[in-house]
Amino acid sequence: MSTLEAAAYTRFEWMKFFNSASPLSWQTVSMPSMELYSPTDLNDALRFMEHGDRSVAVIASGTDLLPRMRKRQASPSVLLDISSLTEDLRYIRQSGGTVRLGALTTVAELLESPLFDDRLSMIKEAARLFGAPQVRNVATVGGNVCSAASSEDLIPVLMALEAEVKLLSAKGGRTMPLTDFIVGKRETALEPSEILAEVSFPLPQGHSWTAYEKLGRRNMLIIAIVNEALSLTLEDDLRTVRSARIALNRVSGKIPALAVKTGGFLEGRKVSEGTIAEAQKVLAAELSLTSDFRGSGAYRTELVQAYLKRLMDRCSRKIGEAP
Amino acid sequence: MSKRTITLNVNGTDHPVQVDSPDRLIDALRDQLGLKSVKEGCSTGDCGICAVLVDGKLVNSCLMLAAQCDGRRVTTLEGLLEDPTMKRMQGSFIANNAAQCGFCTPAMLMAAWDLARHSPEPSGDEIKVAISGILCRCTGYYQIIDSVRQGCRREPR
Repeated sequence: MSTLEAAAYTRFEWMKFFNSASPLSWQTVSMPSMELYSPTDLNDALRFMEHGDRSVAVIASGTDLLPRMRKRQASPSVLLDISSLTEDLRYIRQSGGTVRLGALTTVAELLESPLFDDRLSMIKEAARLFGAPQVRNVATVGGNVCSAASSEDLIPVLMALEAEVKLLSAKGGRTMPLTDFIVGKRETALEPSEILAEVSFPLPQGHSWTAYEKLGRRNMLIIAIVNEALSLTLEDDLRTVRSARIALNRVSGKIPALAVKTGGFLEGRKVSEGTIAEAQKVLAAELSLTSDFRGSGAYRTELVQAYLKRLMDRCSRKIGEAP
Repeated sequence: MSKRTITLNVNGTDHPVQVDSPDRLIDALRDQLGLKSVKEGCSTGDCGICAVLVDGKLVNSCLMLAAQCDGRRVTTLEGLLEDPTMKRMQGSFIANNAAQCGFCTPAMLMAAWDLARHSPEPSGDEIKVAISGILCRCTGYYQIIDSVRQGCRREPR
């Protein structure tokens, strides 16, 4: 897409939302009728899901689901309310080299945890720019991941940390990488009988740091034009890249994804202006970014390249400063 | 649709409330308990005008189902009218002309009160973050920020 086309797209594409066939798509309407089941025991919740009924939706805080139900973008006939299962599903734990976040962990709790002060500080950076205080107080990690949309701030962060998700059903559990869990825009690998119980990731080892960038039209309560997360590990010489995991939102298909090729390109190379400039080109060629009313793909491609440099600089500087 | 009776502890008193599954907390507070300081704006969590405290945490009452609040403690502006911090905050809003149309004022006061509990001397940035979830339709943020700063101070200067 040329720059001119991109500009035209950005200017007019949003208008389709107002010409949409369904007048309900942008009007605020009443809540649709549905039934609510609020178990107080995780096993009850799993048994309720056992039949794999597709008209059942899981609700935690509802900050994403309820507005979508009002707009008829989601129309479950039964809601399984897991918000009381805090004993089983709300925790931030570190054991061995693994960090585990219960699905009901709120974004505000991420901001309070001392675990995310140093090399995992991008989690707090993302949490700080997430919604607004009223949303952060209730919005959950599990809900953000299960929404599986490019508007979700935590997904790129967790992808860059190579997170895995733990899914539970009455028959047992399974884990899978987050990158496999998100299969499309608002589509996950969750079976109708499963609920997401935990997101876990290995604590970065050695000379490592993480950083996050988000650009929106304002700082707070905004869906990003671009989010980009980097988890960088250097060799003992503090120059050579051991591993670089870069994750972004709004990759074609409107999904979050890892920039695998760019990460691979950086591995084994020394961090320098030249390397980063080449990596920016690899990144631009690797992923095609979506155009929408927030910004064109061409604009996003410029942004993610600029942010790659900023993130690399921030991470390598922090690694150099570490004792 | 099944009606159910839940218990909401609102402003220190337990109220049995009959709700349908789709009823949100804001519906129960405004329509059943008559607490009209809780305003309905966007209904999608973007404007924050419906902010109340649930178990001591500031939340948007349009984004919560009433049934999910069964047995929980809800505080609205009406419950804080005699609170010294809230009185100070209201006085400061009045002194600084922080209300123009007044529609966002109850929610702004709730967010300001929540901030004042935790930090008596908040920085400008802390104030901005604290009220970032509440949209003022008249764009009178400067007066509001000044009011919150003054209202947070326990000793008048």
